[in-house]
Amino acid sequence: MRTGTANTSAAATRGRRALRAGTVTVGAYALPVALVIVSLFIGRYPISAGDVFGSLGAALGVSGAADSIQARSAAYTLVVNVRLPRAIAAALVGAALAGSGAAFQGVFRNPLVSPSILGVSSGAGFGAALAIVFFSSATAVVAPFAFLFGVLAVIASYLIARVYRSTPTIMLILGGTIVSAVFSALISLMKFIADPETQLPNLVYWLMGSLSAIGWEQFAAAIPIAIGLIALDVLAWRVNILSMGDKEARSLGLDVFRDKLLIIAAATLSTAGAVCMSGVIGWVGLVIPHIGRMLAGSDNRRLIPLSAAAGASFMLVIDLLCRTLSSSEIPIGVLTALIGAPFFVYLLKKTKGRDWQ
Amino acid sequence: MKADPVLVQLDGVSYTYPQASAPAVDQVTLEAGAGTVTCLMGVNGCGKSTLIDCILGENSLTSGQILLDGTDISTLRPSALARKVSYVPQVHERAFPYLVRDVVLMGRTPYQGILGSSSDADQEIVDRALRLCRIERLADRPYTQLSGGEMQMVLLARALAQQTSFILMDEPTAHLDFRNELSFMETVVQLVRNQGVGVFIATHSPNQAFFFEWSGVPTVCTLMSAGRVYQTGAPSQVLTSENLHDLYGVHARIVSTPTSTGRPLNQILLISTEECSHDQKR
Repeated sequence: MRTGTANTSAAATRGRRALRAGTVTVGAYALPVALVIVSLFIGRYPISAGDVFGSLGAALGVSGAADSIQARSAAYTLVVNVRLPRAIAAALVGAALAGSGAAFQGVFRNPLVSPSILGVSSGAGFGAALAIVFFSSATAVVAPFAFLFGVLAVIASYLIARVYRSTPTIMLILGGTIVSAVFSALISLMKFIADPETQLPNLVYWLMGSLSAIGWEQFAAAIPIAIGLIALDVLAWRVNILSMGDKEARSLGLDVFRDKLLIIAAATLSTAGAVCMSGVIGWVGLVIPHIGRMLAGSDNRRLIPLSAAAGASFMLVIDLLCRTLSSSEIPIGVLTALIGAPFFVYLLKKTKGRDWQ
Repeated sequence: MKADPVLVQLDGVSYTYPQASAPAVDQVTLEAGAGTVTCLMGVNGCGKSTLIDCILGENSLTSGQILLDGTDISTLRPSALARKVSYVPQVHERAFPYLVRDVVLMGRTPYQGILGSSSDADQEIVDRALRLCRIERLADRPYTQLSGGEMQMVLLARALAQQTSFILMDEPTAHLDFRNELSFMETVVQLVRNQGVGVFIATHSPNQAFFFEWSGVPTVCTLMSAGRVYQTGAPSQVLTSENLHDLYGVHARIVSTPTSTGRPLNQILLISTEECSHDQKR
C-alpha cells in the first residue's frame, strides 16, 4: 500500500516536471525564431509591415510580391540583405557561443569556464589583427584569418596539455592560459604597429565585437558553427560522463582521450566560426549555460541545445539594442556584459541557486 | 555463479609511475573470485590505489598481465572493460547538480550506442539498483544535495547499474560516519551474497575485513607492503597483531566478541605506535 502511494506521488511529480520541462523547451526554441522575425521590423530606417512582408515574399519568389516591391528596392535591400542576415548571424553566434560554453564547462567540470578557455578568442583576435595590419580590413580577408588562428590557438593549447595518452583538465587550462597570454601579447604588438588613422580603429572595433558588417557573403562561417553544434548535440551525453572526472568516465566505458578531443574539436569549430563572424564577444558563452541550467537542469543532452537556443535569443535582443539605442552603433561585446550581468544577478536572486548548485 | 570461479587474475603485475625510480606496484600476483570479497590493506602509499588503477585499465602495466575471465584487459576497449569491471571511488567531486537517477543511469554507458539513448530496460535496471541500495527515495533529488553517506550509495548503485561481475572500491567508506559505513558494508554483503558479484575493496580498517568474514561471505585479505603482496589469506589468519606490528608499526590486539549469530566477531584494539611505546618504556 505504502509503496503504491509513493509510486503514484512520484509519478505525479515526474508528470509535473515533464510538463514544466515541455513548456520550457517549446518556449526556448520558439523564442529565437520569433525574435528573428521581430528584428526585420525594427531599425533606424522605418519600413512598413507591408513592405517587410512584401520583401520577404519577393525573396522567397512569391509571384505578385516581386512587382509591388520593385519600386521600393531600398526596403527590399534592407530587409532581405541587411536585417535578415544580421538577425540570423546574431542567432548563430549566440547559439555557438552558449552551446560550446555549456560543453566546455561540462568537460572541464568547471562552471566558470568560457568557450575562450583554450585560447580561441585571443588566437582569432591575433588572426584578425594580422589581416588588418598586413593585408586588408575587408571581412573576406579578416574572417578566414580569424578562424584559422582561433583553431591554431586551440591546437597549440591541446598539444601543450597532452601528456602521454591523456589530456588532464588542469593541463588543458594551463595550456589555454599560456597560449592566450602569447596571443594577447601579439595582439598588443599588432595594435602598436597598426596605422593609428586607418587600421587601429578597425582592429579595436573588431576586438569589441560587431555584427554591423554582416551580409550573406559571410555565411561561410555558418558551416563550422552548424557542424560544431550538431556534433555537440550528438556528443552531449558523453559530456555528462566526462563531467564525472577522467577516471570515472573511463571506468564507465568512455575512451576519455578520444571523446574529449572530439568535444573540444566540435566546440572549437563552432566558437571559431562565431568569432570570425562577429569578432570577440565575451560573457555569452560563460553565463548563458547557467541560465540554461536554471531552466533545464544539468543534463547536457537537454542543456546544450537549450543553451544554444537561449544564446541565440540573448544575442538577438542584444543586437537589436545595439543598433537601435543610439544613432551610432554600440559595440555588441559592450552590451552583452552591461545587459547580461544585471539579468544574471536577477536570475540568481530569483532562483536562489535552486536546481543549479 | 560461473563454473570457473576465478574472475580476475593478476600475474606478476608491475607498474612504475613515469619518472619514478621504484615501482609503485611490484610483481603482484593474486586472484579474486566471483561471490568473494577481497580486502586490500596496507599503509598509505603501499600501492593499493595504484593496483586498483591497473585493474581499471587506467595505468598501462610495466610488466605482467591482468586477465579477466581469461582475457587480457589491455586488449579490451574501455566499453568492453566497463561491462566487466565497475568502480566506486573514495570521493567524487560533484561539479553539476545531476539528478540521482541520471547519475545511476550513467552506469549504463558501456551498453549504449553512439547517441547514448537509454531504453526502458535501462530505466528498470536503474530502478533495481536504487532499490538494492535502498535509495529509491533519493531518485529525483540533485545529487549535489546529498550527504557523504548517501553519495557513496549512489556511486554503488551506479556500479550496480553497470551490471559487472566485479566491483572495485577504493576506500569507499573513508569519509563516512560509522553507521553509514556499516550500512555500506551490509549492502556490499547483500550484493556479494545475492548477486554473486566479486568485490575488490581497498580499506584501512581491519574491522571491515573482519566484518565481511563474520557476515559469512567468502572473504580474502591481501596485505600489501611497498608495492608487493605481503600475505594473503582469511582476515582472521593474516590480520594478526604480529603482522599489524610489522606492517604498520603499531601495537594492537585482536579481540573476539560473541554475537547473536553464534559466530564470534573479531575487532582490532589499537594500543600504541611503536615510537610511543619506546618513549613510555624510557
